[in-house]
Amino acid sequence: MENSKKISIIVFAGVIVLFFVSWISKTSGFQSTGLPFGASVRDGFLITLAAFLTLAIISFLYKDNPYYKFAEHLFVGVSAAYWMCVGFWSTFVGNFIPKVSSTLSGFFEVPYKGFDIFYFVPLILGIMLLMRLSSKVGWVSRWSLAFIVGTTAGLNLIRYMRSDFISQVSNTFVPLLVEWQGTGHFFSNFNLSISGQFVMMLGNWVIFIGVFCGIIYFFFSKEHTGFFGAASKLGIWILMVTFGASFGYTVMGRVSLLVGRLTFLFRDWLGLIN
Amino acid sequence: MSNSNIGLVISLLIIGAGLVWLLIRSLQGKEVERRIIFLFIGLSVSVPLLFNITFSEKATPIVRAVFDKIENLPEGSRILLSFDYGPTMAPEVEPMSDVMIRHVLAKGHKLYLMGLWATGQSLGSAAVERIIKNDFPNMVDGVDYVNIGYKAGNQGVLNVIVTDFRKLYSTDVNGRDLDSLPIFNDIKSLKDMDLLISVGGGFPGVKEWVQFAGDPGNVPTAGGCAAVSAPLLYPYYPSQLLGLLGGIKGAAEYESEFKKRYKQFGDMPEPGVKMMGPQTLAHLVIMAFIVIGNLSFFFAGKGRRK
Amino acid sequence: MRQKLIIIMCLLFIPALAAGQESVITADSSLVDTITVVPPAPVTDLIAYDKNNDHGHAIILKWTPSADDGAGKKNVLGYSIHRSLSPNGPFEERGIAAAGDASYNDVGSKERESADYMADHVDYYYKVRTLTADESVYADSEVVGPVQSYGQWFNTDRWMVLIFVIGFMAIMIFMINKARRGAKLFVRRLAGIEAVDEAIGRATEMGKPILYVLGLGTAAEIATIASFTILGRVAKKVAEYQTGLIVPCYDPIVMTVAQETVKASYMDAGRPDSYDEDMVYFVTQSQFAYVAAVNGVMLRELPATNIYMGKFFAESLILAETGALAGSIQIAGTDEIAQIPFFVVACDYTLIGEELYAASAYLGREPVLLGSLKAQDYAKAAVMVIAVIGFITIHFGWDTFVEWFHVAN
Repeated sequence: MENSKKISIIVFAGVIVLFFVSWISKTSGFQSTGLPFGASVRDGFLITLAAFLTLAIISFLYKDNPYYKFAEHLFVGVSAAYWMCVGFWSTFVGNFIPKVSSTLSGFFEVPYKGFDIFYFVPLILGIMLLMRLSSKVGWVSRWSLAFIVGTTAGLNLIRYMRSDFISQVSNTFVPLLVEWQGTGHFFSNFNLSISGQFVMMLGNWVIFIGVFCGIIYFFFSKEHTGFFGAASKLGIWILMVTFGASFGYTVMGRVSLLVGRLTFLFRDWLGLIN
Repeated sequence: MSNSNIGLVISLLIIGAGLVWLLIRSLQGKEVERRIIFLFIGLSVSVPLLFNITFSEKATPIVRAVFDKIENLPEGSRILLSFDYGPTMAPEVEPMSDVMIRHVLAKGHKLYLMGLWATGQSLGSAAVERIIKNDFPNMVDGVDYVNIGYKAGNQGVLNVIVTDFRKLYSTDVNGRDLDSLPIFNDIKSLKDMDLLISVGGGFPGVKEWVQFAGDPGNVPTAGGCAAVSAPLLYPYYPSQLLGLLGGIKGAAEYESEFKKRYKQFGDMPEPGVKMMGPQTLAHLVIMAFIVIGNLSFFFAGKGRRK
Repeated sequence: MRQKLIIIMCLLFIPALAAGQESVITADSSLVDTITVVPPAPVTDLIAYDKNNDHGHAIILKWTPSADDGAGKKNVLGYSIHRSLSPNGPFEERGIAAAGDASYNDVGSKERESADYMADHVDYYYKVRTLTADESVYADSEVVGPVQSYGQWFNTDRWMVLIFVIGFMAIMIFMINKARRGAKLFVRRLAGIEAVDEAIGRATEMGKPILYVLGLGTAAEIATIASFTILGRVAKKVAEYQTGLIVPCYDPIVMTVAQETVKASYMDAGRPDSYDEDMVYFVTQSQFAYVAAVNGVMLRELPATNIYMGKFFAESLILAETGALAGSIQIAGTDEIAQIPFFVVACDYTLIGEELYAASAYLGREPVLLGSLKAQDYAKAAVMVIAVIGFITIHFGWDTFVEWFHVAN
């Protein structure tokens, strides 16, 4: 037998042995806390399985391997099934059935809210959307798509115009001279405290210039030369600072998730920390 | 010397020595195996966890704004907390929702839980078991707090409940009629709430709460979000979003502020603060990598040009 | 015997003494209550009117608080609001306002079946009762009414939103029509698009294919639609130069549209026989499985150029990093702000946000795209002008202009 095959078999055997060792030790750990045997076995298995799937995914950092592939496919399959069930129970049973049938509402044990014929409209549109699976009548789905795109655009136009446009324009009306009482007062009270005059003024200047120059960068009707070009360059610098902050925030987010997983491994699985 | 200090010294020694080795290797123009980078990150996160390295936190104005709002509302105010996240985001945002639930109930406000994500309903129920039933055993479900759960429709749900809750919600997660619950007396819509808080990081999330509930309903809105989404939400602060807890740092700041003011919760778990130790070290290591990378690029480039 | 009698008398006397104490205490406390609780002054200047800019079923009441509220006798605990369908009653309590308050919103339900139903276009009469610590001691205001609630067709608080919506749509329709009539609308050059041509040339020289990733969006998303236009341009150049093209797709509908786009480009280039349907294929609709597959393509086929245009999420950095490892030139464009930092770091050229739409307008020259882009530019110009005016008015204290942009409701 080839060496690599031998190693694979040894590793697989080791993983199985470790799995059972962990399962047994977690089960006895739960039992010692007073949990009944059945529940201890179940919880021991679940924690061990979660730990092994976590390690299987992390193993990808070393090299792609069958354990990683198994964990990934399991995740994809389970999440697809989960969201399908959630979609059925929350949308179909939660929103549609209570509005069309008291019998079905009773069967699914959801409160009947009274018949509303308008609820058949989304049902028909949904069926039309599914027609896209057929090449012959797939064109029917375009009507549903048009309805979705149209209503979303209409709903969102006003919301975005209000919250993301007018309110944001209003937010740029910032005073560039905050609590101004002359240069003497400014320099005599100079401090770097976050609510101090200097920091507030600096913040307002950055907001105003940043918004102005950022908009100029995205102005496509004029070539970026002269003053326009300089403002555009400043705009892209400010954008890059923003992207850098966003990048840093994302790094923090990803590290948080890693910390969460390692906390699970060290605390819930291995019991190394409280 | 405490465990934490020993751990800090060990981690700084190991990681520091490793970074120096990396720097020398990079300056020599040798390639650094990516698995070494992964190992560094793994160490910089594991060691602070194992040795319980933590740092003190101070609330920044954007976090304090949320804290002060809950603190200054008169007792008995109505606060809605929406669980808009799933288990994948939970390590980052659950500390926020936990501490805010404690704060709201410790202050004597009424707490309304719901979710725009399907997973939000079970996370809300888990929070009730974990926080409310343990720390506030005298609180009565339906009188002091209620979980009305999840409804499908994303921002469409907000569009409806900003004018009438009962068009979508007729019962809570336990199947009790909302009209039979004292906590829902005089509650017709989101406009009857004194504060809306959305905790999440995806779609729908804090942005949708601002656009479809806070702004049109004129209700004060606060948010807690995953770090990825935080920069996108800063434009809404402070006029449309009164405050924001960005990532685990925001959670840690809120926890430390809460513990300072509410000494009776001195023993409460602080997952946010605990996670900031590994975060800090990991960020320092990443910053060192960036410096090393740029230095080696600069000096290696000089060498090539010679 | 006598001593026993005295003791018994004393024992009997003690409860009587205690009872007497109680009655004395009670008498004293009632005397205290009678002294402190006197009727307060009623509220004055009570007015009631329909709540504006709503769908009806709401009435606002305003009054001047009682003279004894925080002053004078200082015995006011709050106010209760009473409503009736006739000026003589019977009145029902609608709610409570705290001491110090000078207004109350009486909001009812619009559902007829609801217990709290409040009909519109019905005469209501109101009075406000000033409350004290003693429930039986209060003062009623005069009755005001009749007042009716009704809904408004237009929310006048949102007039600024209406102006902007109409204004923007008008400019957009005008610019689209102008583009349709053949007017030359200038769009400045974009570095990322110029780089596409260079990258295609590079791929041809190296004899390696071009990998084009349309992202994870659906065919209805704007970023994906913009990407189709750029794909068309890339496919035409690729057809002319006889370079290879690989287009793995995440969405089946996107795949069908991409196939039609590439096929049409090959026909335009006069090379219909060179078109291979397997160039554009469906992979999977699972995010990370799709990324794993595309990574595999990058590491096996070693394309000279990777082009990422469309909607991307958490997989963006994985894609760009693997492409960098494979040594490809990378050009990216997305409107997902959160992913732009990763593309900026790992790719050679990045189209940031709206530049992706501008690129598709620049390349496709479709009137709708061009017209929309120009209209957006006008909107941006308007924003800059308004920002400058706002900055000036706020310094001179001209609050009216600032208030115009504050949408209250």
